[in-house]
Amino acid sequence: MAIHILGIRHHGPGSARNVQRFLQSVKPDIVLVEGPPEADPILKWVGHAELKPPVAILCYRQDAPQQSVFYPFAEFSPEWQAILYAQTQPIPVRFIDLPISHQFALESPAEPAQPSRQAESLESAVADNNPGRRPTVADLATAAGFDNHEKWWEHMFENRSSNEPVFDAVAEAMQALREVPQPEEDRPEKCREAYMRRSIRQAEREMFQNIAVICGAWHAPALSNMPPRKEDDELLKNLPKVKTDTTWIPWTYQRLSFASGYGAGISSPGWYDHIWHYPEDNGIRWMARVANLFRDQQMDTSVAHVMEAVRLAGALAALRGLPKAGLEELNEATLSVLCNGEDILLSLIQKKLIVSDRIGETPTEIPKPPLQMDIEKLQKKLRLPPAADWKDYTLDLRKDTDLERSIFLHRLQMIGINWGQQQTASGKGTFKEQWRLQWDPGFSIDIIEKGSYGNTLEEASNAFVIRQAEASTSLGEVTQLLENALPAELSRAIDTLILRVNNLAAASGDILQLMKALPSLAGISRYGNVRKTDAEQVLSIVDSMVTRICISLPAASTGIDEEAAANLKNLITAINESLNILQDQLLTQQWQQSISAIAHSTQSAPLIAGYCTRLLSDHQLLTGQDLVKVFYYAMSTSTAPADAAAWLEGFLTGSGSLLLVDEDLWGVVNSWMGGLEPATFTDILPLLRRSFSHLSPPERRRLGEKARTGGGSAILATSETDIDPARGRMGIPVVLQLLGLNPKISVKNG
Amino acid sequence: MSTILRQHAEQLYALELEELRKQDSGQRPPSWKLSPQSVVDYLVGKKLKNGFEVSPKYIGNKRLMEIAVATLTTDRALLLYGLPGTAKSWVSEHLSAAISGDSTMIIQGTAGTSEEAIRYGWNYARLLAEGPSEKALVETPVMRAMKDGKIARIEELTRIGADVQDTLITILSEKTLPIPELNTEVQAVKGFNVIATANNRDKGVNELSSALKRRFNTVILPVPDSIEEEIDIVRRRVESYEKAMELPAEPPALQEIRRIVTIFRELRNGVTQDGKTKIKVPGATLSTAEAISVVNNGLAMAAYFGDGTLKAADIAAGIIGAVVKDPVQDAIVWKEYLETVVKTRDDWKDIYRACRDL
Repeated sequence: MAIHILGIRHHGPGSARNVQRFLQSVKPDIVLVEGPPEADPILKWVGHAELKPPVAILCYRQDAPQQSVFYPFAEFSPEWQAILYAQTQPIPVRFIDLPISHQFALESPAEPAQPSRQAESLESAVADNNPGRRPTVADLATAAGFDNHEKWWEHMFENRSSNEPVFDAVAEAMQALREVPQPEEDRPEKCREAYMRRSIRQAEREMFQNIAVICGAWHAPALSNMPPRKEDDELLKNLPKVKTDTTWIPWTYQRLSFASGYGAGISSPGWYDHIWHYPEDNGIRWMARVANLFRDQQMDTSVAHVMEAVRLAGALAALRGLPKAGLEELNEATLSVLCNGEDILLSLIQKKLIVSDRIGETPTEIPKPPLQMDIEKLQKKLRLPPAADWKDYTLDLRKDTDLERSIFLHRLQMIGINWGQQQTASGKGTFKEQWRLQWDPGFSIDIIEKGSYGNTLEEASNAFVIRQAEASTSLGEVTQLLENALPAELSRAIDTLILRVNNLAAASGDILQLMKALPSLAGISRYGNVRKTDAEQVLSIVDSMVTRICISLPAASTGIDEEAAANLKNLITAINESLNILQDQLLTQQWQQSISAIAHSTQSAPLIAGYCTRLLSDHQLLTGQDLVKVFYYAMSTSTAPADAAAWLEGFLTGSGSLLLVDEDLWGVVNSWMGGLEPATFTDILPLLRRSFSHLSPPERRRLGEKARTGGGSAILATSETDIDPARGRMGIPVVLQLLGLNPKISVKNG
Repeated sequence: MSTILRQHAEQLYALELEELRKQDSGQRPPSWKLSPQSVVDYLVGKKLKNGFEVSPKYIGNKRLMEIAVATLTTDRALLLYGLPGTAKSWVSEHLSAAISGDSTMIIQGTAGTSEEAIRYGWNYARLLAEGPSEKALVETPVMRAMKDGKIARIEELTRIGADVQDTLITILSEKTLPIPELNTEVQAVKGFNVIATANNRDKGVNELSSALKRRFNTVILPVPDSIEEEIDIVRRRVESYEKAMELPAEPPALQEIRRIVTIFRELRNGVTQDGKTKIKVPGATLSTAEAISVVNNGLAMAAYFGDGTLKAADIAAGIIGAVVKDPVQDAIVWKEYLETVVKTRDDWKDIYRACRDL
């Protein structure tokens, strides 16, 4: 009877190779691996052709899927190799860690929503740097003269070619670290180790003769020195328990890396993958890949460059007394030879090669939550494979497949899975959509969580949106939901949403919310037909919303400050445009009445009043002499100059061409401005500048030219009142003569 | 004490090189005086097994020195690149002193450097009298380095005209220097290599052709990372200078060095040390080397005109001279810095007064 304890580093290619060799030479009859026993049933999938690492075992609480743990495996993970070995022999393989159901229950139930905890390992020995704590692996590394514990571990244990002694050395090193008692009681860790020991005893009882145990290096000493069984049983008595589920999910190398905040992560999964596949590579293959990457980026990289870089890396390794160039040497050689010392391109290598954007796959027949099955089915059907790196798609909604894709992506967004980010499509046309897709393994947990809403994506997203709609009391939120739900074609949810919008709109006193919501709805009811949405449905709420707006807008335009007025003005612009789009006679009429009321009310904020006057003029409801009258009234001297300027700003919003073409209007503005007291003029100059600055440069220039020549001054002429007709008549012949006309006729007429 | 104004590195640090050679057990590339590991130790400093302390020559990232030395063990040449005053020439001198024991094979690159200065020239009197012969040939440092298997140094490579630069290509790739006039050639002995320096601040320089660039491994020497590192550099260099110049002044107070380095760093980075105040940046480079020369200058002032201790008044002139290179623009920048930053620091009153009085 023999028990071999193999202490490893999770995701260490050297450890993986050692484990592989070790298992092949000892030929155990059972393999025990550190991991959640709940996952034992799904271990049978390891070795399946379609289960391609990196993948992860996902354990989650049935009643609260957000409480979950991932156990990621790459091809170069020792655990993966151990399981694979067991599956191909075949011999039994079991996970021996404390069941997740207990671990979840042990965690304080008050904070179950904390972001998915990830399986840890060396970590507990490395993570903290609290003084007065146990010595850590980092301390060992410092003692050995390394500045980084990763590097130390790599040189000591990963890059070795010998076999069994490595594991003994690991156990010994960890034993030395663990000799210092830990001050604080870490119950979960003790329980975990006790459970591992119990599992080993269990295997012994089942008469397995040759037991191989693969566990994190940190735990190795605790498993080889067995304390009395009673102690462990005592520890494990009456552990609380919750219900959990497990499944395989695809994982990515990015998620394996430290950068993504994974505790037991590694800094260079891509590099490990490389040395796992090409253990004999002396840097040539790696540098060739670097050169390839550079060439893809239009960087001239010759074969000679590669040779020189490999040579330099070799020389550096020799200088540092290393048997082989490691990633650091290769990076430094790349920097010096290929990049001419500039480190900008190194970040590209970091992203593409050292981390790499590899993503795993899981077989379709693995039992999965129905919602995930449905999503995967759709991904396959619509040819939208999940990828770790982002990819852009331009969808043409006139095509059926693209429309379905768009609906699919919108639905995912509705249930909170932001796989796709919608971007502004270039070019014209409402039939185009631009999406950027990037899969994150964390979505799996969201999918499982949302699984409670329904078994298909359509069902779940409908139910989820309805739930949100019912919970929300803000009109803005609900209309936003409605706007998003329309392209997702969630017909059931849309019905509920429309009802909800109607109810909220009736109850809401906040007209701004209504106004904000209207333009998008109007757009949908007008253009909705690209998506074949039921525009009628929307149009009905648009009707009632416009009516409500028209009734309350005049009141809402009074007693507001400048900022609120500017805000309201923008909303009025949007609504005006929406109504132009809708081309509905009745609605337009209502609208015109409303703005006319605002324009003529003395209570309205001057900016709004000015703007509404302008809209009336645009609608051809206020023209000619009437317009002049209104303008003069607003600009009259009794009005405070600041108010007059605000009114003018509102009036001139958008375009000054009216001012250029309409001589009467020009006269009004021109004479008003000419009649200002110098002091008042100085006061309102900033405001004037502001209102004119909204005009386009050519308009401003033409207005300037017009102002210089005096322009038409038809209205100004009326200011001269005491004319002596007799004296005037005497001058007429001369004037006529000057103009080259026959004076006699003129005199007669005069 | 020798009467030489400035001794070569291999003379100044002869003792260190000798001790290193004695302790050196590593394998040496052909013609190298030390093993690569010892060369790195010589540059970054180390306490030897017998207790002998090797002083650091380059203070900064050791990995850069490792790359530089490793490059010289391969057949690629080394290009040290960086701002003026980042110790490029200093590193190059010490590298060749440690590797070849001889840092004198040097060519100063200028716009007027001709091919004859790099390959070989002729003794025209002899050429006319005897016709072309080996004796009429005037060897250049590069040619001598090739014959002896030593390191040749080329300063300011990018200042040399592009056509002249390219004469290096054959030398670097085929390690041979053809002399068509005599129908012969000089083939480099093992151990020959080239260290070139170039700075990336100057304008009007000649970029290396890509053919030539390919023959060099580039190491960019950065400005010091932290203020402590920079102070350390200045202190060490000033002390060694004092020894060489036999100045009677007291060793400089760390306080004064810290202030100079702070002023230089702040003006260089355009922000105060605490990161709170933005400062205009003058046109001058304000490298560590200039800080060193300001301290040296101050020491000389203190020794000959003052009471022998470095005071604010002794360094004020030096600082202004280093900062204000353009009499109009830089003067405004300096004045602003003086009034907004220096004045507000309580313990800097003396330096503020000293600078304002000038």
